Formats: sequence, C-alpha cells, structure tokens
Amino acid sequence: MSGRFLDLKQGKVWLLENGRGTPLLYLHGFVDVHSIKESWMPFHELLATGFRVIAPAHPGCSQSDENKDIEAIEDVIFHYLEFLDRLKIPQFDLVGSCVGGWIAAELAARHPEKIRKMVLIGATGLFVQGALIGDVFMMAQPERGSSYAGLRQMLFSDHDHPKAWELFPDGMGEIEDELRRYQMLRFGSRIGFKPPYFYNRPLANRLHRITAPVLVIWGEHDHMVPLSHGEAYANSIPQAQPLKVIPKAGHSVHVEHPELAAQVISDFLTAKAGNSR
Amino acid sequence: MQPVQLFCWHFMAYPYLAKNFDQVHETGWVTVPNSLWDNKKARGLYQEYIDQLAYADELGFDGMVLNEHHQNIYGLMPSPNIIAAALTQRSTRGKIVVLGNLLPLHMNPLRVAEEYAMLDQMSNGRLIAGFAPGGGPETFNYDIPSADSREKFWEAADLIVRSWTEDGPFAHEGRYFPLRYVNPWPKPLQTPYPPVWIPGSRSPSTMTEVAKRGYCYFLSSRSHGGETHRAQQEFAAVLEKHGHRYQPFRFGILMSAYVAESDRQAREECEEGVWYFLKNCLKGHLRREGRQLTFGPGVPYIPAPAWKEYLKNYKPGRKLLGDVENWEELEASQSIIVGSPETVYQRIWNLIERAKVGNLLIQFHIGNMPKELALKSMTLFAEQVAPRLRESSLSFFEQEFSGVNIEQQKGASL
Repeated sequence: MSGRFLDLKQGKVWLLENGRGTPLLYLHGFVDVHSIKESWMPFHELLATGFRVIAPAHPGCSQSDENKDIEAIEDVIFHYLEFLDRLKIPQFDLVGSCVGGWIAAELAARHPEKIRKMVLIGATGLFVQGALIGDVFMMAQPERGSSYAGLRQMLFSDHDHPKAWELFPDGMGEIEDELRRYQMLRFGSRIGFKPPYFYNRPLANRLHRITAPVLVIWGEHDHMVPLSHGEAYANSIPQAQPLKVIPKAGHSVHVEHPELAAQVISDFLTAKAGNSR
Repeated sequence: MQPVQLFCWHFMAYPYLAKNFDQVHETGWVTVPNSLWDNKKARGLYQEYIDQLAYADELGFDGMVLNEHHQNIYGLMPSPNIIAAALTQRSTRGKIVVLGNLLPLHMNPLRVAEEYAMLDQMSNGRLIAGFAPGGGPETFNYDIPSADSREKFWEAADLIVRSWTEDGPFAHEGRYFPLRYVNPWPKPLQTPYPPVWIPGSRSPSTMTEVAKRGYCYFLSSRSHGGETHRAQQEFAAVLEKHGHRYQPFRFGILMSAYVAESDRQAREECEEGVWYFLKNCLKGHLRREGRQLTFGPGVPYIPAPAWKEYLKNYKPGRKLLGDVENWEELEASQSIIVGSPETVYQRIWNLIERAKVGNLLIQFHIGNMPKELALKSMTLFAEQVAPRLRESSLSFFEQEFSGVNIEQQKGASL
C-alpha cells in the first residue's frame, strides 16, 4: 500500500494507490476503504491485481481535509474535477459504491469523455418514486445504547452477517475505526441529510449523456438503496449492461462477496467494448 | 443585586399514553405514531397547560418558560411562540422565556426576529429570547444536515440580534441566509434588545460563543451532580478569558421539582407522573432503551477531532436519566427534587450555593401529572420554598458578587 496527499486549493486529499495497468478511480461508500478501514479491503486488493487502483478519501474522510464549501453533490463533483486535473489522468475506469457510485454517475454525466468504462455498486443518487433510500443516519444511532443491529441490517443482507459484525460491532470498536465511520457520516450529511436525501432529482434525465459502457451491480437484498434504483440506472444509461443482481448480497456487495464482485468487475472492464449487450 | 430568579417551565407533555406504551413503542420521539393522539381526551389540554403557566404568574414566579419540540410526546410545542402569544394576554408580571426557537429549523431567521419582536411588544417588554440549535431528534424532524448546523445557528442568531439593534433596511451578506432587505417591523420594546439565552451541554465552543456575545448560558443537562458546578466553573473561566466576570444571572439550569406536605406524601403523589415522564417522555431522548436520537454518530454536528475526544471517554450503553431503575437512583441524579418544603428548599439551596446559579428553571408539571397536583405543588413551592430561596440567595450573591454588574448584555461585542 502506498498512500499520499494531493494538495488542492480547497485542502489536502488523502489517496491510496495499488496495482498497475489501466487507471481505475475508486470512489468509496459507507462500508469501504477510508470510511471504515484505513487500508485496502480484500475487494480492492483483488481489483489491484489487474488495474492501477486509485482511491481518494472524500473530503473530511480519513486523512482528507474537511471542506466546508461542500453543501451539495455539485460541490463534490467540482472537488473531484480539481482532483482529476491534478492527477493528470485524461481517461480512466471509474468504480463507485453507494455514495461513491452517485458521485461517479454525476461525474460521468458531466464529463463522459473522461470515463472509459464505469461500474456502479448499490449507488445512491436517483429519485425513484415509492422507493426511499434508507435512513443510514437514524440507523447509526444505537439501540439500547449499544446495538448497531439496525445499521448492520441496512448495510448488509442480514444484520447477522459475519462481515457486518466485524465492521459494525455493538458497543464500540477501535477508536480510529469509529472515527472514520463518523467522518463518513459527517461527509454524507453534507450531501445527503436534507431533502433531497442522497439523491439529485435531475440526474435521471442527465444519464443519457454517459457514453462509456456501464455495469450496474446490486445486492439482491439491498436494504439501503432499493433494487429499483439499480434498474433505473441500468435502464437510463444508454451503454449499460442489464442490471447485474448478486444473490445473497445486501448493500455491501463488495464486502459480502469480494471475490465475485471483483471478478464480475474485472471481466467487464477487460472485455472488448461492443459485445456487451 | 437580586435574589435567585425562579421560573416555571412547562413542557406540555402528551399525558394520555396507555400504560403499556413503553412495552409496545420504541420511542416517544420523531417516529412515535401520531395515531396515538386522542382528540376525545386531548380537547382542552392546551387550555389546561396555559392555565397552569398563568397561575405561575399569579403566584409570583419570575417567569414562565416554553420551548420548541416536534413530533414527540415529550413537549407539544412545535411553535412555542403561539403559547407565548397567549401568555402575553394571560399574564402581567413574569418574564416570558422562549428557550428557544430552534434556529436551523426556521427557514428564515428574520421570521424569528419578527415574532420575538411582536412578543416583546405584546408582553410590554417581558420577553427573554432563547435561541437553540436543536439536537438529534430535531435533525430528524426536519432533515437538518448536521455538519454545518452550528455555523448556520450562529449566523441566524447574530442576524436576529443585528436586525434588532441596527437600523434597517440593510443587506445581510451571510453564507446561509443572505437577505437583501433586513428591516423588521416591529422592533422589540426592550433596549437594546431582549435578554438572549442560549442552551448548551458544556461544549467549550458554545460557552465561548455565548460569552463573547454577553448572553446567558443555559445548561440543558437535566441531572445536577458535580457536573453543574463544573459547568459553572468552566463558563466562569471562559467569561474571564473574554474580559467578563461571572455573575449568577449569566447562568441558568433546568430541574424538576415536586413539593407536598411531607416527603412521603410528595413521593406518593408524584411518582406516577415521574415514571411516566422518565419511561415514556424520555424514550428516544435521554434513555438508552429504544433508539436514542439526541447524540451520536448519526447526528454528526461536532467536528471530527471533538468527536474523537468524546470517544475516548465514551462508555457504550451507559445509563441516562430515563434509565434509572428505582427511586434511590433517581434521587441521586438530582434531576427531580421531590419532598416537603423543607427538603426541597435544602436540596435546591445546596445546588445554588454550590453552582452559584441565578436562574432556576423548574418543571412542575411532570409527565401525566394531574393538574390539581401540579397546581398544589406550585403553590407550596411559591409560598414555602421560594421566599426562603430568595432570602438566602440574595445575601449569598451580595456577599459573593458585591459590586458586579448584573445588568443584561449591553450589545453583542463581536
């Protein structure tokens, strides 16, 4: 693992890099590198066997500076444009999970030319009538003073999933893990804890601008972002493959089934373009 | 110098929950189903509660206190200003303390400036203007993004006071509430503006902001062990740092009391209301049972470094006030003071003496307490406890704070 800071006008960005090959920008969600773990999780390491994985921490997450100018998703997109300018990677593969998937979709709709291929995993960002995105903030308040069963249930296929217990134990985990989780919630609250709740209504009508081939992956039992959001993404992006539903997975596909998720993603990213549908 | 100021606080709880509420429902806040509201029982409830506050004014309390809560059974005042407006017409002497309007929940702070100015005019200058940022439940009530809620709060508070003190129209070039024309009609009656009180729970940053502006710091904690005294010392130190000297009327606390003819009778009479309050009203707020919404990672309004400090001393699952299991634990929390006039006098006097606090905001109506009992307790307090507290506190304050100016602020010095 190698980590470094990029100095942007709006503050330092902490990023991890691993692997060689086509650059792959990875944008994290709630159950992820930077938001729970300081370092790579198995999923990212598997991806890094075939790609140069670059994973920045969102503003205020892990060691990245907080940016008080971020009040809406638009501000996050601008942050990443500056980040990309500095990285000097004209084109790359883009993979995003949860809120990271939302950021990825917004970025691709604005700058389709930058994206070679894109993968969204349980991405927030869309408004789907009658299918509310779950309230991760309320679930982050423990029950009976110490139980995070509600949070585990929202972020995984089942609250009893061993990975869920490992990453979101009852009571208190390591202080640094707890702190990263808090930082992620605080970042999330800047763009998601107000109406609109983790979505941007106009995004649906902007997705047609995306020119890259896209794969949308969803856990069959995603209790945070309903499956219908996955269908909406897959149906609205012109070059999207049919929605890939992962059985026996919840919101955190990449943590619940890291091998399968990494395999599906690298197959898609390495396939010759044009034979997708 | 003046004696301790004794205020009557009414939370206006919903008192008609079934006996098994605690077994059946996860919380009394935010998501507590409003299908439980019973119009047959609740008709006339506000009248009853307003009558109790008007009676406090007749009894000679120094003021009546109201506050803002939403979507809960703990306090039925989404708009305390409406009750305050009624009190302007039902009371003649006491202050009307609105503690406070939850500024981040108000779309436009100018509306608060206008309504408070109206209340000050309507009450002939009796308003104490409270500004509060709101806590966890309120974050969920109105989906208030947490990360910048404190900055938003202070911008709103400063804009309101500026609108009262600076002639309009002027433009407010703020980040969160930019306004082209700030020009409230009416202005408040009190000059330079009504006293401002701000609640806090010992966060140094809130104390500092309150101290800088000359406002009264109100400790929102409901329990009064050594922490109350520590909060007073911390605030005094912060004041010192900003060139002010602490005096008792820069500080206020919240407590509950019940007075009856004897200790035993007091406990017997109030116990049902007290348990209703602790187990139902505090569920979701100051109780770990169910899902506590008041403070935690889901309402991340404090910056990450401060959260890290908090985590260092954090004990998951620790008991909160609503988790007390028996009367002895409750007594030890010094949150609800129950007893004969002598007992209540002694216990409150000890607190005043220790914490040097000048504003006591006392809840008399507790949970589902019948109005007759609340009124009797208020009467006994006013007749047999208040005079003694006033007498002892006056000489104590005179001795401790001789020569200290206790006038309210002379204008924000930012």
